[in-house]
Amino acid sequence: MTEAMRPLTHLVNLKSPLSLSDYMSEGGYQGASKALHEYSPKQVLDLVSDSGLKGRGGAGFPTGMKWSCVPMFDDNDDNAPEFKYLVANADEMEPGTFKDRYLLEGVPHQLVESMIIGAYTMVANRGYIFLRGEYHLAAQRLQQAIDEAYQNNWLGKNIQGTQFSFDLYVHTSAGRYICGEETALINALEGRRAIPRAKPPFPQMSGLFGKPTVVNNVETLSNLPHILKHGTAWFKALSPDSDSGTKIYAACGRVKTPGLWELPMGTTIREILYQHAGGMADGLKLRGLLPGGASTDFLLPEHLDTPMDFDSISKAGSRLGTGGLIVLDDKSCPVAMVLNLIKFFAQESCGWCTPCRDGTPWAVEVLTRIENGTGRKEDLDTLHNLCDFMWLGKTHCALAPGAVEPLKSALRYFLDDFEQHIDHGCCSYKQNTAQKTKLKGHCHG
Amino acid sequence: MGDKKMAISQNVTVYIDNVAYQVSKDNNLLAGVLSQKLNLPYFCWHPSMGSVGACRQCAVTQYQDENDTRGRLVMACMTPVSDGMRIGLKENSAEKFREQVISAMMTNHPHDCPVCAEGGECHLQDMTVMTGHSSRDYQGSKRTFNNQNLGELVGHEMNRCITCYRCTRFYNDYAGGKDFGVYGSRNQVYFGRQKDGTLESEFSGNLVEVCPTGVFTNKVFSAHYTRKWDLQSAPSVCAHCSVGCNTSIGERYGSVRRVMNRYNSNINGYFLCDRGRYGIGFVNGEERIKKAKGINQQSPEQLSRLDVSKALAHFRGKRFIGIGSARASLEANVYLKKIVGEDYFSAGYSHQKMKVASVQQKLLQQAQLSGEIFSLSDIEKCDFILIIGEDITKSSPRMALSIRQACRNAGIDKAAGLGVVSWQDSAVRTISGKLNTPFFSMHTTATKLDELTEQHLLLGPDDIEQMVLVLTNAIYSLINENFNNEHEKQLSKLSTNQQLFISRLTHKLMAAEKPLVVTGDSLASVKILAAIEKLTHCLTQEKLKTKLNLVVLSAASNSFGLLSLLDKRSLSTEQVLNQLTAKEVDGIICLEQELAAFTDDELTQIREAADIVIVLDHTHSRVTDFADIVLPVAAVSEGNGHYVNYQGLVQRYNQVHSPALPILDSWKWLALIEESFESSTMATAILRKKNLEPINNLDQLHRYFEESLSDWPLANPPPNNDPVARMTTRGSGRTSQAANSSIHEPKVTQDQELLYRFSMEGNKPNTNNAMPFTWAPGWNSNESINHYQVEIDGPIINDNKNENYLYFKHSLSGLTPDGEERTENKVEPDNSPLVYFPQGSLFKGDWQSANTVEFQILTHDPDKHFTLCLSKKLAERKGWNNGQWLKIITENENIIGRLNYDENLPEHLAYGDINELANKNTGINIKLAEAINVDVVEQQNNRQRLYQQAKDSQKKVLQQLKSFDQHIPIRFVAGGLDET
Repeated sequence: MTEAMRPLTHLVNLKSPLSLSDYMSEGGYQGASKALHEYSPKQVLDLVSDSGLKGRGGAGFPTGMKWSCVPMFDDNDDNAPEFKYLVANADEMEPGTFKDRYLLEGVPHQLVESMIIGAYTMVANRGYIFLRGEYHLAAQRLQQAIDEAYQNNWLGKNIQGTQFSFDLYVHTSAGRYICGEETALINALEGRRAIPRAKPPFPQMSGLFGKPTVVNNVETLSNLPHILKHGTAWFKALSPDSDSGTKIYAACGRVKTPGLWELPMGTTIREILYQHAGGMADGLKLRGLLPGGASTDFLLPEHLDTPMDFDSISKAGSRLGTGGLIVLDDKSCPVAMVLNLIKFFAQESCGWCTPCRDGTPWAVEVLTRIENGTGRKEDLDTLHNLCDFMWLGKTHCALAPGAVEPLKSALRYFLDDFEQHIDHGCCSYKQNTAQKTKLKGHCHG
Repeated sequence: MGDKKMAISQNVTVYIDNVAYQVSKDNNLLAGVLSQKLNLPYFCWHPSMGSVGACRQCAVTQYQDENDTRGRLVMACMTPVSDGMRIGLKENSAEKFREQVISAMMTNHPHDCPVCAEGGECHLQDMTVMTGHSSRDYQGSKRTFNNQNLGELVGHEMNRCITCYRCTRFYNDYAGGKDFGVYGSRNQVYFGRQKDGTLESEFSGNLVEVCPTGVFTNKVFSAHYTRKWDLQSAPSVCAHCSVGCNTSIGERYGSVRRVMNRYNSNINGYFLCDRGRYGIGFVNGEERIKKAKGINQQSPEQLSRLDVSKALAHFRGKRFIGIGSARASLEANVYLKKIVGEDYFSAGYSHQKMKVASVQQKLLQQAQLSGEIFSLSDIEKCDFILIIGEDITKSSPRMALSIRQACRNAGIDKAAGLGVVSWQDSAVRTISGKLNTPFFSMHTTATKLDELTEQHLLLGPDDIEQMVLVLTNAIYSLINENFNNEHEKQLSKLSTNQQLFISRLTHKLMAAEKPLVVTGDSLASVKILAAIEKLTHCLTQEKLKTKLNLVVLSAASNSFGLLSLLDKRSLSTEQVLNQLTAKEVDGIICLEQELAAFTDDELTQIREAADIVIVLDHTHSRVTDFADIVLPVAAVSEGNGHYVNYQGLVQRYNQVHSPALPILDSWKWLALIEESFESSTMATAILRKKNLEPINNLDQLHRYFEESLSDWPLANPPPNNDPVARMTTRGSGRTSQAANSSIHEPKVTQDQELLYRFSMEGNKPNTNNAMPFTWAPGWNSNESINHYQVEIDGPIINDNKNENYLYFKHSLSGLTPDGEERTENKVEPDNSPLVYFPQGSLFKGDWQSANTVEFQILTHDPDKHFTLCLSKKLAERKGWNNGQWLKIITENENIIGRLNYDENLPEHLAYGDINELANKNTGINIKLAEAINVDVVEQQNNRQRLYQQAKDSQKKVLQQLKSFDQHIPIRFVAGGLDET
């Protein structure tokens, strides 16, 4: 694996991540150096826009466009705010997603360098890495990397002899999924309840403590040093027919070798699943999959040749999301899978808006009865209504719409399973288990 | 949200279901739709608290243009109004979604309606019906919560919560409360305190009205409950401070049940303080006077006019001093002064307080000359605030709430600069951060508003006066360098902190466009007010563009009405005592006066010196105890009259029900007294001579005043349309409620006043008169006020157009301030006495409401103890630890209090909340010693005993009320003694 092919992960060493000096010998901090010494903030912004980099946190929003909304001020402008903030969203809690952890634990300096570049571009003087609290090891390693950076004048005042000063902190979260939503993250950083904010105003105008703020995903940011080092042409060439750059894809479920792999953007599902993840485990067949984490729609075997990029997956009826496949085999119950996912979302609902707060547990109630065999025909209508009730525009943020994506696609693709549960009053997947023998009633295998 | 007094703000065209409407573009779409009196359900939006977009109830469909047939759902409360926008209100997908929202809330909402206090005026009920939701789809069980005991005033039933967040937004964000909050997440969000305990905010009662369900209910109302539709109500004015909030008092079966907010766009808006909401309890108190004392009755069951005339005729020709009252109506005070004559009228104020009153008159006259004195809604728009010598949170709480809103203006302006409108509440608060409107304060005690100040100083009254003088000089020196030397000299005598205060204050004041200065008479300091007069005079200089908007507060509901009656001939309490002991007068007539200015000894002197003591009051006091004649007076809910508030605004309170005889309005007793004193045929003589009508109602009384007095200030009211009904159209039982006494259906009680009827018949609310209660079809809760406003948050349609203002004259001029009678102690070596100032008290600060049994319980809370705040330096020198018990030694008693360090307090000052010292508002010398355990225990026991007494009284009152329900007095005429 060369850097040119696998820029994000080629320096990953989970056992013992590179120290600052080793990281530098491997070419680290060259991107930051280039930005600070050779480019103005505007030039870096143009570079990033030109590169076509899109957010890797799930929304796929063009990074350059996000940054261009940050207000810029002349040096002696009285209106300039005292602080501008760059925040790395390291609150990785989407089920089926573990790519950021890989980067944070494996090559923490890469994120530090990325944030220096990002902060330089938006003229931010303070940064926070909002880190999922359970990632203890990452917290430790990140802080170590930050300490080293301070010692070597890569953080703090007048970085590498330039006018640019930047302070960076690690903040470990107290632990809610909703903190992955950027404005809820900002509220949590302020010490408030983790409730998303209404937009507008956007964080670039009024973010952390009401100041201009940009929140980016860890993987997104990690591309910056490489774009700076090798240029936009290289970045685009990494995946000529698709979105630019590479993507860390993952696969979990009953596959032979679950894991993660950095591949060109637009690699097909088939390649990820069969070439890298080794295909389904013995005795199992592919039933369906969620292409990008728990809050994406199901895709079927017929979609295997779809490139894993934002547009193609969207056209297929789902979302790229975080690019981590959650694979459903033919011996696992789709209803149970969806129930498991919705339970998570109901648990993690922040409780602000009515459709999510009261709709997700309602869906749990219905699915539980269906899975236990006490479902009724009307319940399917209820589930459809709930999917409609919790859709985009009706809720305060995207948690609930994400929650119903697996549900509504399961109702579309796996309707027989739902109907079977209802008609036969049991889950036919519970074969030869203690559960099945406890069930009374008529159950075919 | 638009200037409430001006005409409707900028309007644009909005198409709602293809019909064009003119909608204000200053507010959000929901407010716009509601202003058109269209029905769009909502929960979390509130006109005073703006929009947050939580409940999702107000969804409407927005179309891009005429051709767009699909549209998309938007939340109306979060959507700005734009010219030409097209909305689908009754559109299918919007209606379906709105019903789904209710359906979702109903998954957990308990079927409590039959036993829930909110039922019948429940916003959730109304919105459920409005969306058409009627059948339950959810099969699962409901989540439940444990409730908390939040004190005597607010009930807690969390199962009913629909998680609209209004309560925390009001309590924490709007009112600055700290001991309440939101906990938990998902569908288990909990609103309450960290643990059980009395809510500490002075505005906790508003939770009852702000909550759209029955989570927070009026606990006192619930104990003796009736449905809203059965209540008989009348529009009234709060009787407990000089702000004059508008209230709506409800009664049933002849007893007052509760007070609700009565919307007034200039004063209280949508909120009351707890004293206004719960202070009405005194009307039902055990200490109410219900029978006359000292009058022989022909018939033991009934007191007749003849009985009274005969008794009073004995005093014909005697000379009386009349002591008026700041809590009695304007009419009663005017009448008393007329009866006893200008030379024999007193306000019950000491000579010192009369001097204060003189300066107050002058300040008010000046303030009114330069424009109307600021209303609360004006105050909320100020960009600079200075409070001098007042703890507004305790004395005039509703004004403190408005000042809190004014403190947000700097942040609101900042947000506007970023293009964020004021009604986007969350965004504005985020952008505002800790930015506050410039706010400075000086007082003898710490106050709750201190946390919002840029700087506040704890000073004795002499130092406060000094600071005002220095400030005045600082301003003069800005425009005239001749003052510079003097100013420098003065500055050098101040501490660094004080110097900083002056320079910051001056700078911010001069930069302000709408500065507010609030002061009052709570410290009874002539010097401070005189210094403020110099300050206001200074700012009228031409070179300064600043006009100082001055507010002068006083303690009681009609302090200002009484103030307008005082002139050079009015008597101070010293003069009253002198005249009595010198036998220059035979007796006193006390009008609703507990004579707080007199010590027990002085009262004894009065009793000994006076031949006759006649008292008119509604509740027992020291004075009624020794009076010869006591005449039972109607409380604010039982009579009619006018109070004058701090602006000089004259407001009318109206009778809710006719109380059992012989309780009468003070002015009716005074009419009897006047008649009896003159001659028994006086009334007829007057009638024959002047062809005057009899005096049965306020209109006739006012005409009588106009004819017989030279300076009756009120203009004649306009002719009335049909009187408005006091009862709702669904009110039940009027004709059967007394069936156990008599099965005959009683006729409607005749109201001799012309504005309201004691039945459900009458004009619709708000045609021309103030509204007794608020209701609209489909809107049973207080949210129905939307239908009566010109537009949301604006004035009421048909607002009483003839607002009457009293214009103050400096009639007490000549009462030259010649040095205060007590100067403050300067710091002397150890063992010299400290000067203690009492902190204000919500529950004890007003005599009437202090008789409310719930307030007595709260005053003697056994879990609390008295605190004494001392300077940290002083305490450390004495070797006293924070939190230890100290004995406070005064002339009359020893009291135990717990020490609290205050780092900002000068060493010679102390302050605290000790009940026994609550009325020593000009300060009292105290000595301190360490308390021993025995003393502490004894005081705690004492406190426990008083608490238990109050608790027992509460039980007794409730029992009494319930037994009165069984014997409702039937009155055919709400009139005088012989009119039953």
